[in-house]
Amino acid sequence: MIKLDDTQEVRNTSEPAEKRGAWYLLTGMILGLILGLVFAWVINPVIYENTTPANLDEGNKDTYRSMIAQVYAATGDFNRAVLRLAVLEDVVPLYALGAQAQRALADGRQQEAWCLALFASALQTSLENVNYTNHPDVVPTQTLPVLNATP
Amino acid sequence: MRRQTRRILFFVIAILVGLAAGVIYGWEVNPVQYADAAPDKLRMDYKTDVVLMAAELYHAEKDTDAAISRLAYVGDAPPLDIVEKAINFAERNNYAPEDMQLMWHLASAVDSTLTDLE
Repeated sequence: MIKLDDTQEVRNTSEPAEKRGAWYLLTGMILGLILGLVFAWVINPVIYENTTPANLDEGNKDTYRSMIAQVYAATGDFNRAVLRLAVLEDVVPLYALGAQAQRALADGRQQEAWCLALFASALQTSLENVNYTNHPDVVPTQTLPVLNATP
Repeated sequence: MRRQTRRILFFVIAILVGLAAGVIYGWEVNPVQYADAAPDKLRMDYKTDVVLMAAELYHAEKDTDAAISRLAYVGDAPPLDIVEKAINFAERNNYAPEDMQLMWHLASAVDSTLTDLE
């Protein structure tokens, strides 16, 4: 006579091992992926040898911008200066020039500040002219309240 | 035992596949972006433009020391080498003759200054 308890002890041990198969492969792939990313981003990252001035650090961008302004002050070649300034990809080039001019002035570098301010001024004039020539029917912003006829 | 060996082999293969995928992603798909590069990493056309700017300023100021310090912006190489490389690049890319002349003048000034120092 077979007891119920005896039959419950019988187990097939090979079945769970087969079911676990996919998980250890996934674990291995995730582990490898993490190791690969650590290697590619931290240990041996890509080093760009041919970068653009837009990727320079702020100090070197300032030097580049200052050189552009000095050349403009020396040669008066506005178009070339604008093309050179564009490669720095400043969000607002006019603001970048003005802010740097103020910093140079505060540091006592008056000649550099003058060059930067001169270029900023020329750029501002150019932008105003472009705005008016491209949009001749543009009306300046109404700053005074509109008068209503009173009875 | 045989099954365990096979599992270890597949585990190692899975790690290698993941490793390859991670390296490809990290190098090709989404590489680290350096926002704070140094000027010596600039592309050659930008380096040449810096040399041209130094030459334009030298033409206006006739200050060789200032020109040499401006050339140092693009790298630690000797200033004459920097100008010569820029001239070679400019020649290959058909820069305007007046720009070429400015750079030749700068090269000549730098050369004579360095020769005097020696």
